[in-house]
Amino acid sequence: MAKPVIEMKDIEKHFGQIIALAGVSLEVVPGECHCLLGDNGAGKSTFIKTMSGVHKPTKGEILLDGAPLSFDTPRDAIDAGIATVYQDLAMIPLMSISRNFFMGNEPLVGRGPIKFFNHELANEVTMAEMRKMGISLRGPDQAVGTLSGGERQTVAIARAVYFGARVLILDEPTSALGVRQTSNVLATIDKVRKKGVAVVFITHNVRHAMAVGDRFTVLNRGKTLGTAPKGEITSEELQDMMAGGQELATLEGSLSGTV
Amino acid sequence: MKSMFKALALTAIIAVAPLAFTTTANAEGEKYILVSHAPDSDSWWNTIKNGIALAGEQMGVEVEYRNPPTGDLGDMARLIDQAAASGPNGIITTLADFDVLSGPIRAAVDQGINVIIINSGSAEQAREVGALMFVGQPEYDAGFAAGLRAKGDGVESFVCVNHVISNAAVAERCRGFADGLGIDLGDSMIDVGQDPAEIKNRVLAYLSANPDVDAIITLGPVSADPTILALEENGMAGQIYFGTFDLGTEIVKAIKSGVIQWGIDQQPFLQAYLPVIILTNYDRYGVLPGNNINSGPGFVTKDGLEMVEKFAGEYR
Amino acid sequence: MSDPATVVSGDERVKTTSPLRKALLRPELGAIFGTVVVFAMFALLASNSGMFSAAGILNWSTVSAQFAIIAVGACLLMIAGEFDLSIGSMIGFAGMSIALLAVTFGWPMWAAILVTFAICLAIGALNGFIVVKTGLPSFIVTLALLFILRGFTIFVPQTLERKTIIGGIREAADGDWLASLFGGKVLTPLFSWMGDNGWIEVYDRGVNAGKPIVDGVPALIVWALVLVVFAHVLLTRTRFGNWIFASGGDARAASYVGVPVNRVKILMFVFTAFCATVLATCQVMEFGSAGADRGVLKEFEAIISVVIGGALLTGGYGSIIGAGLGALIFGVVQQGLFFAGVESSLFRVFLGLILLLAVVLNTYIRRLITGER
Repeated sequence: MAKPVIEMKDIEKHFGQIIALAGVSLEVVPGECHCLLGDNGAGKSTFIKTMSGVHKPTKGEILLDGAPLSFDTPRDAIDAGIATVYQDLAMIPLMSISRNFFMGNEPLVGRGPIKFFNHELANEVTMAEMRKMGISLRGPDQAVGTLSGGERQTVAIARAVYFGARVLILDEPTSALGVRQTSNVLATIDKVRKKGVAVVFITHNVRHAMAVGDRFTVLNRGKTLGTAPKGEITSEELQDMMAGGQELATLEGSLSGTV
Repeated sequence: MKSMFKALALTAIIAVAPLAFTTTANAEGEKYILVSHAPDSDSWWNTIKNGIALAGEQMGVEVEYRNPPTGDLGDMARLIDQAAASGPNGIITTLADFDVLSGPIRAAVDQGINVIIINSGSAEQAREVGALMFVGQPEYDAGFAAGLRAKGDGVESFVCVNHVISNAAVAERCRGFADGLGIDLGDSMIDVGQDPAEIKNRVLAYLSANPDVDAIITLGPVSADPTILALEENGMAGQIYFGTFDLGTEIVKAIKSGVIQWGIDQQPFLQAYLPVIILTNYDRYGVLPGNNINSGPGFVTKDGLEMVEKFAGEYR
Repeated sequence: MSDPATVVSGDERVKTTSPLRKALLRPELGAIFGTVVVFAMFALLASNSGMFSAAGILNWSTVSAQFAIIAVGACLLMIAGEFDLSIGSMIGFAGMSIALLAVTFGWPMWAAILVTFAICLAIGALNGFIVVKTGLPSFIVTLALLFILRGFTIFVPQTLERKTIIGGIREAADGDWLASLFGGKVLTPLFSWMGDNGWIEVYDRGVNAGKPIVDGVPALIVWALVLVVFAHVLLTRTRFGNWIFASGGDARAASYVGVPVNRVKILMFVFTAFCATVLATCQVMEFGSAGADRGVLKEFEAIISVVIGGALLTGGYGSIIGAGLGALIFGVVQQGLFFAGVESSLFRVFLGLILLLAVVLNTYIRRLITGER
């Protein structure tokens, strides 16, 4: 297996008296889709916010290409090639697609101290990148609000990849989507992985994880319960681990396996 | 696309519709505009509105009343510009701040519009901006006369309840009153704002903090009405010496019941009525009185309240 | 996006749009339309009242320019997702500061103006700093500043001079290089030439006889135009403009991609304070005095102009051109109603109606553009 791009070692995060993460480890190699599974409250959000520089870990190490580093701001993480696509914060619906696409990375044109936003370049790139992802737009000045939820996720993923993300963290990208849109997003994840980007796919939906995942890590009550490669674990086992074992197994019996 | 145009068209119709009901036809004949400095909330100016309306009716001329809604004098300067641009025969205006208003007034005069200054300002300032005359009450003199009267009644200290702290002309009344009494104005003038509840509470607070105050002076119904309520509440009504400038319904009642010793009437009716009459006759026959007109001060006391009572808030 | 019918997988689901619709669908469409309606309305009602004479045009364009100057600042701030209710108090405060420094303390006018700008920009920054650091709604923070500034504006001159209107500014500003930037007029030779040719009205008596009634374009109008153009370019053509939209659209999403949201918001508060101070300076230079009650309720006039111009109260959406046109509509309606001879107390009724109609129309247009529902 290739060398990991990013390694998170024994990450702990405390908020006052509350221990949100109590030793979480994870590594991602280029070109793999590493699924991070966990129920609500398992610590998924805290963990990805630590990974993307929003929180600083209380204890533990972050290694990028084997070298330790710490992020002070989200900007540092982005500069290091770690991009995060948040479930509901991916895009600003009132702004046009191209303005969203280049938000924070606006291309400039002009001489001397006065520089202008290069709308021409932004529009061109946006249209081209969207075509690559299989989305046809009315125009680059179309507002993001006119897109469907799946398309918004796709735009956000395309944006991250375009700006050189080596690690792409996806926070529950499919949780609010319908079946058709979900499959579009999963297809996008597959495209991105094939480009050699390391994808961290956070979800609590085992089926979505099994569809694209190469490796699976389960998070429960702030701890990792271990990592398993594809084929060595079944969806039932993942489901059990997420729920902490017992209760769901009992429940599953009475619901005859529909959960 | 269609629905968008429909929405736009509908909006247009709704926007224009109310105008059909409110546009007053431009009557033939002379037109005079009165511009005041009073905000919409100042009810004292109702007498002025009624005054010009009556004069307009009697003389068969068109009259208009305009004021800056918030009382901002900068806005008032624009109103005078605007009144001049609409080409009336004459403008009747107050001169609340010479610096702000003298430019626009002078420009109107230079455009050939007759101007009469009323209410605020002075005869000298009216002459300086090129106005025909000044109709009003010399504020300092009115205050001074009131001060002399109060001194004769044995008053030694007072509080001046000022609801228009930014109007320098009105504050002159307090200065004149202090000089009439022969004492220093000092901290006797309090800024109470325009809200009745606030005015009432500040007067109550001041009186309990300064129990040795002899007299209260209010500068108009806006400050007098809540002050009357305040005195009724703390039991000083009729006990403390109370004089006011300007009249209003509540003030007249209080004079009758003995809560207020006297009111100084600047007779705003005359300030509105006379200029319209004077301007019309000047435009029609070229006649003009040779003097400025002092519409006040007239002391109104318990005696002879009948007419005042009948027309309080309307023409008095 | 809960409606499954909007799932778009290919071209066939994207509605085709005509170029005309595309050109029309802009945030400022409502304001453009409103401007046309308002001018058409007054052309019918007030055409022979002097409203469209040189003096009449100057009158309503000066009033509109006043609104526009503060609306530009309020518009950028609103797009960045914040409010400033202290604009009106800032106008009074800035004017009084200039008057006190120049007249009471006898400073040279340029120094009084520069120091006033520095103080007011610092207060704007303080507004912004408190808002971003505490996370309190800007509505509350700036409401506090509204009272604090107004209180000082009344208290200080009363303590120092025992009055609340400070005059003598015109004399103090005489010949001052910086003051002429705010109080002068431009294009005066053009206007006197037009007057000489009888194209515009001239005074027929007084010391100014023969001179045109409108002898130039006031600096106020020039400032309004300059600020509109500057802010429009800043908003639509620069990186910073994108950040303004992003900060107001969704502050968290913007900061996650590295937009310095707090800095953007503080700078917008500073810019709003700058616009208020420009208006205050122009006013005191023109009127020659500063009063403690100047600028009362002006913040609402600014916000109304901005909203008529199509900006969204909650931020992230709007147009400077729209705000400028909103100010024009506001000014033309306010003065036009007087020209048309409408009873002045009905002005507020019209203002309310126009505001309501503008918001309804703008919401409709915005939904077409952004796909909100």
